[in-house]
This record gives sequence, C-alpha cells and structure tokens, in this order.
Amino acid sequence: MEEALVRAVLFGTPILLAALGALLSERSGVVNLGVEGMMALSALAAFAVAQEAGPLLGVVAGMGVGGFLGLSLGVFAVFLRTNQFVAGLAVAALGLGASGLLGKRYEGVPLAHPLPEEGLALVALALALLLHHLLLRTRFGLYLRSVGENPRAADLFGVNVDGVRYGALGLGGGLIGLAGAYLSLAYRPSWTDGMTSGLGWVAIALVILAAWQPLRAVFGAYLFGLLFFLQFRLQGSVPIPSEAFAAMPYLLVILVLALSGRARAPKALGVPFERGR
Amino acid sequence: MRRLLVLLALALGLALGQEAKLKACFIYVGPIGDAGWTYAHDQGRKKAEAALPWLETRYVESVPEAQALPVIDRFVKEGCQVIFATSFGYMEAVLEAAKKYPNVLFAHATGIKRAPNVATYMADFYQVYYLNGLAAGALSKTGKVGYVAAFPIPEVKRHINAFTLGVRAVNPKAQVLVRWINAWYDPAKAREATEALLAQGADVFAFTEDTPTVIQTAAKKGAYSFGHYTPMLKFAPDHVVSGQIVHWDVIYTDFLKKVKEGVYTAKNLQNVDYFWLLQHKAVEMGADYGVPINPKHVPLLQKAQMTVDGKKVSVYDRIMALLKDMQSPNPTFDPFTGPIRDRKGVVRIPAGKKASLQELLSMEWAAPGVVGDWPGEPK
Repeated sequence: MEEALVRAVLFGTPILLAALGALLSERSGVVNLGVEGMMALSALAAFAVAQEAGPLLGVVAGMGVGGFLGLSLGVFAVFLRTNQFVAGLAVAALGLGASGLLGKRYEGVPLAHPLPEEGLALVALALALLLHHLLLRTRFGLYLRSVGENPRAADLFGVNVDGVRYGALGLGGGLIGLAGAYLSLAYRPSWTDGMTSGLGWVAIALVILAAWQPLRAVFGAYLFGLLFFLQFRLQGSVPIPSEAFAAMPYLLVILVLALSGRARAPKALGVPFERGR
Repeated sequence: MRRLLVLLALALGLALGQEAKLKACFIYVGPIGDAGWTYAHDQGRKKAEAALPWLETRYVESVPEAQALPVIDRFVKEGCQVIFATSFGYMEAVLEAAKKYPNVLFAHATGIKRAPNVATYMADFYQVYYLNGLAAGALSKTGKVGYVAAFPIPEVKRHINAFTLGVRAVNPKAQVLVRWINAWYDPAKAREATEALLAQGADVFAFTEDTPTVIQTAAKKGAYSFGHYTPMLKFAPDHVVSGQIVHWDVIYTDFLKKVKEGVYTAKNLQNVDYFWLLQHKAVEMGADYGVPINPKHVPLLQKAQMTVDGKKVSVYDRIMALLKDMQSPNPTFDPFTGPIRDRKGVVRIPAGKKASLQELLSMEWAAPGVVGDWPGEPK
C-alpha cells in the first residue's frame, strides 16, 4: 500500500504541475489548450540544457520555455483577441511538432545527471498550497479572480486586465514547463518524441473536474496517479481484462470529482476583453 | 565543338548511369527519430543504400495506415520499382496497390498475405528471447521475473513464451509476471507497470515497448534488465545484462540484390516470406552491438548452474553454446521443440516435434510459468 501511495504522488506530480499552470491562466479568464505542446517543448529544453549545463539550469530552461509559450498564447488571446481555443490548439501542435523536430539528436541519449523525483514532488505540493493561498487570501488573488469573473468591473477599479492575464499565462506556463522538466529530468530521465503521451490533456480535464481549485487539483492528480498504478498492480490478480483496467483511472477520477461538487467556471473564461465595450 | 560533344556524352553517360539505379521506397508508420521500430527500419534502409552502389532510396515517415495508398501512388509516379511497407496495418493497402501496379515489387513487413508481386518479411526475436530467458532465470533471486508487454498478439506472446521457457530451463520454479500496457509506445505506462512488478517482487525485467523506460526504472531499484530492439546498455550500464537487437538491413540488402539480379520479379513473390533469425544475422543477442552479454554480469552467469540432459553446466556456457548453434547455417536447437505443454497442461508441441512456422505465427497459448492476464488464451 505504501508503494501505491508513493506512486500516486510521483506519477501525479507532472499532472498536478501542469494542471496548476492551466488553472492559473484559466482563473484569469484565458483558456489554455496548449498544455500538451508546452510540456513537450519544455521537456526537451530542460533535457538539452541539463545535458550541457546541469539539471538545475535545465529546470530553469524548462520553466522559461513554458513561460515563453504561455506569453505567446497571451499575444493571441490578449493582444490579438483571437479565439482562445484555436490559439491553444495551435500552441499544442506547435510545441509537439517543434519538440519532435528539434529533439531528434537527443533521442536515445541517457541523461547525465537525473534529478530526484521526490524532491520535485514536494516542491509541486508546496506550489499547490502556495497557489491556493495566493488565489484566496491575497490581493493578487483577488485581482486575478476579478479579472477572470468580471474583467470590466476589474478594469473600472483600476486593475490592469491585460497585465494580469499576461502574468497568469506567463507564470502558469512556467508551472507547465516545470511539469515538462519533471518528465525529462526526473520521472523518465531521457527524451523521446511524444514523451508527454497525453498527460497535458489529462491536466486540462483535471482543471475542470477540480472546479478551478488548487487543492482539489492535488487530490485529483494523486487519485489519478494511484489508479494509474493500481491498474498494473492489480492486473492479473483480479479477473478483469487489462483493457478494462486501462480505462479505470479516467473513469473513476471523473466520477469521484464529479460527485464531490459542482464545477463553476470563471465567468469570463474564454471571452476576450476589450476596453470600453 | 569537340568539347561540347564530350560534355554531351558525359551528361548522357551520367543520365544512363542514373537510369540504371534501382529505386526502392519505404513507407514508415512512425517518425524515424523514435529510437524504436521506424528508427530501426530507417537504419536498415541507410545501410542497404551504403552497401549497394546501384541503389537509390526514398522514404515517407509517419504515414497513418489509412493514408498508405496515396503515398504508394506517389512513389509509383516517381519511379519506385520496389516498395517496402513497414507496418502490419498497411496490409490491405499493399495488396490493393499490388493489383493496381502489377509491375512494381512490394514487400510487407510482418505481413501474412502475399501475391505474385507481394513478398512478406520479418526479423524475429524468439530465439534471442529464449537465450535472454536463460540469463534471467539465473539472475533472479526472488524467482519472479517481470515482463512489461505491449499488445496481446501472437508475436508478443511467442516472445514471452520463448523467454519463459528459457527462464524455467534454469529455474523450473520461477514465474514470469506479465503486465500488458496495450501500447507499443507509452513510457508512462511502461514506468508504472515496472513499478507495479517491482512492488510484487520481480527482480529481473524484459519488455516489449519502444523506450528504455523499463530499464531505467528497474535500474533505480537495482534490478537487472534486458534491452529491446536497439542497444540500450548506455541507459543502465550496470544493470542491462543483454537484449534483443534487430538488423533489418540484412533483409533489405538480400531482397534488393535478388531483385537486381532478376531472381525476384513482379511475378514470383507469392512464396517469398523472410522469417529471418539468428542464423541469417537479421537479429542479434546483445546488450550492445557485438556485446552478447554485459561483461559485468558474465561471472555471475558462469557461477550459475543448470541441468542439461542430466549434466550440470554453467548457464553462461549453455547460452554461448546455443547462441553459436543458432547462428550456424544448420541449427540443431530450437526453443519450441516438444514436448511443450501450455500453462493449462494441454500439449501444444508433441515430443520430438518442432513448432512449424504457422504455429509460431499464430501462437496464442501461454507457457507454464507465465503468470497474469492472457487475452485470447485458448480454453
């Protein structure tokens, strides 16, 4: 059982970090569908830099690329006011494609100095608690939420709506970048094309299921990690076909989080803000 | 004027030289950089091109199975005389294209249907898995060997069975715990399946998945493992014992040479089926190219004993003797030689008989010692 709990946390961590990143931007009213591609490209950046300059700079590079992609999404969503869903999907495709193309020379190369997963998992948990505190107990959180709920009112009160949204996308991108770095530097210390294998999409779904609340995202990510591990731990000892086991984590997480309370999205989510209209 | 004539002649000569080149084209299902299946095929293509000066090749990567036909059309338009389709899922498209283009030669990897201008080919690992199984049986202290498996299809089942027969030849009480991940490529599933097996006591690992994840995960806990498909020693130099390595170029070179010499034509491929093994050098047993067993683990395997025909021999000697035999032109040993019962006690290969190619290609039963879910297991 102890083993299962450890796996729950260690496999739940990249999903948690990515979900926190997406949550941050969505609380400011910007949908982020680019998570999968952002994770992939930052995983590559982290790996490449770690190989040359050590794992800590690798983490910085991963977060930097994630933050940069978050801001790029901001250019479309905030400055150009394009459809956020389309822009997000474009970032996802771009990140996945670019990482595959640029990463060819890192395929089949072992990472010289992997990072301990346990340490990063603790950092992720601390970040979740910090984000919870920031969102609900600080002036910054108030601004952020007001921008996501009612940007016009926030604007009237002198909050810089665009600035807050850029900030949320940049910081959120940094968290998603950390999720990518966790994958390529700790969880699986190597690089292969498509190594995010859908975890970014799981994170996006988790944000909705967790009703845009950081602590629920912690619970959901760890629950998913636990069930993901258990499908292999129990396979063969319980007379359920392996294909059915494979669906279990997704179904049960949806069920548990759906039963735990109704989700209400930030009111301005997905709506571009234009002053004076 | 004379100069011009010489130049013209040269140009014509070059053009003719170009004409004389055989053009072979490859359709890949994945990206060539994935370090797995498609990567290995592309390495084979490159080596064949380097070895055969009269060969010219082209490829298209990441072709979804439904898109194969348009790619083949394009290849034919560009003058491809030989087309290699490197995924099982291309089968119907290849057969259809073969009818449409009766003068083009097709070769379909892992295929089971042929035509006058469609051959099939496969480089198979079952012998290598048996040899790795011998080593795994000798190295496991818990008697529990882990296997992280892709899809429950005959090819993968054949490999698990051969591996298990090897494990049990050394340690008749050992178990091979199988976990299916239902994916050819999914590092997260491979990781958690390995963790689950480690938690259940497995201390030696083999697998079918396209990344070194199982090896890296096992090494963290000090468990031994066997690389798959490409050399993976560098990912855990202290823990990778051996592995299965493919050499598609051997098949490509042979096939193309015979096309060039006129042995193979668009009319006589109906019975051309490569199922190439150790003796054809299409596969290799090794932790790395030319390293059959990691030198760090040789002493352990030399010390380990097993019984062969009532005599005690070292596991290392047994592996090396069988490897040499199976690499020879006329091997005398085959892992699937009867009597072999499945794990339910049904006789699958009678005493003294060797499994036929058909039996190998359609294998659904599980060998004794295999523990775990086994979709499609015969009643």
